[in-house]
Amino acid sequence: MAEVNYVVEALKFMVLGMGVVFLFLFILVKVVELQAKLIAKYFPENTPPTPAVPAVNVTEDENRRVAAIIAAVTEFRNKKS
Amino acid sequence: MKLKQIFIALLFALVTLSSSAYAEGHDETTVHQEENTTKKAYQPKTLSELASSFWETTGIKAIFDTNDGEMSADPAGEAKEHKLGAFESSFGRIIMILIVFTLFYLAIAKGFEPLLLIPIAFGGLLANIPLAHMAGPEGMLGVIYNMGIANEFFPLLIFMGVGAMTDFGPLLANPKTALLGGAAQFGIFGSLVGAVALGFDIQDASAISIIGGADGPTSIFIANRLAPDMLGAIAVAAYSYMALVPVIQPPIMRALTTKEERQIKMGVQRPVHRLEKLIFPIIVLMLSIMVLPESTPLIGAFAFGNFAKESGVVDRLSDTMQNSLINTVTIFLGLGVGSKLAADKFLVLESLGIMIIGLLAFSAGTAMGVLMAKLMNKFSKKPINPLIGAAGVSAVPMSARVVSKVGSEEKPGNILLMHAMGPNVAGVIGSAVAAGVLLSIFK
Repeated sequence: MAEVNYVVEALKFMVLGMGVVFLFLFILVKVVELQAKLIAKYFPENTPPTPAVPAVNVTEDENRRVAAIIAAVTEFRNKKS
Repeated sequence: MKLKQIFIALLFALVTLSSSAYAEGHDETTVHQEENTTKKAYQPKTLSELASSFWETTGIKAIFDTNDGEMSADPAGEAKEHKLGAFESSFGRIIMILIVFTLFYLAIAKGFEPLLLIPIAFGGLLANIPLAHMAGPEGMLGVIYNMGIANEFFPLLIFMGVGAMTDFGPLLANPKTALLGGAAQFGIFGSLVGAVALGFDIQDASAISIIGGADGPTSIFIANRLAPDMLGAIAVAAYSYMALVPVIQPPIMRALTTKEERQIKMGVQRPVHRLEKLIFPIIVLMLSIMVLPESTPLIGAFAFGNFAKESGVVDRLSDTMQNSLINTVTIFLGLGVGSKLAADKFLVLESLGIMIIGLLAFSAGTAMGVLMAKLMNKFSKKPINPLIGAAGVSAVPMSARVVSKVGSEEKPGNILLMHAMGPNVAGVIGSAVAAGVLLSIFK
């Protein structure tokens, strides 16, 4: 029996391992793409676009605050005069 | 006058105490004689004998007397115990306690994965207490170890929690980036070759190289199957490198990319349908059932957690998984792993090798992910910033954050976080698959 060259064995592991990982992820990618297409076709998107809602809130909040400050300042000035 | 009263009172107290003590002692001896002396009958001792027998049980004596024949403690029981050497029972403990304090420092002052390093390090501290045998089958750490680490239960629970925390939306929006999570697994197999070349046994080398996946639970899972003796060092290495992601990754990312590449902007991601997210964990599980059932314990737990989250009807369960359950298990996992930080198990030359190979594995994974992303950028219609390849190692969400940080340093306003999350969560799946391959080899 020849002596086992473990480095070569490890290289074989590498080929097998990377191959399986890529194969797995490749199939996954394909299935997911297919799934996305099917879902887009049979269950069309009906959720309203959600982004920018918090942004609006923030500006609204800001506007209110500015309004409050202006009101306070005018009140103060009126009292003064 | 008062003094005299006090004196008399004291005298009375003493007399009553001693007489009652005598009575108790007397009772006990008679009882023991009746029980045919299963217990050793108490022999009267002089004060100096008491003092010296107490001295025998102190930690100071146990640490400084190098030849006391103390046994090591192993959760597996007496079969695995051995007499501690002079170094192991004295200096080794002191060194390990210093290492533990360093870990405390890193966790508290530097913020390196404190959630895991604190329990692990404290477990290490407890495991190095002389004479208490806390890591033995009846000690607290040993009980914890046997309860969930020796049978790989805790890593699976952690995976369940991680699944419940993970949002696969970014991956579903741009599925091709999943391949980056595969490329980063090169860290595992590349360092496997390196470890074997360094002279590690091929099975041990496989267990060590899984550190390159940058996945704590997977590392523990594999280490426990392939090289249980090295579990402590492997877990500590895995978690320390996960903690060091912000230090290790950016230089590698910068070295392998040009400035223009780092400034590439990626478009806005498409919205993802709820059904896609719901079906995804099932797809992953089905695929792993078909391709390699060896990895289904990990992927199954992960898919369950994610499915519970995305189903949207069991918020209580998914909430428990991602909060209270994972926190509880983290405490146990940390302490259990810490039991392997006992001096006689950790202070061996292999630990140093594990640390070095772990670092190489981690760097190789990052590098390969970046290179793969560069390649994809060349061939893809949509631009891909090569930085997101670095997120292919599965340290979720740390490495995605690091990628985003480096990206926005290069070009302010360029937010890569969501794009990097795709390869990041694919990395979790990728390293679980890689783990399954390694297990299938050593069946």
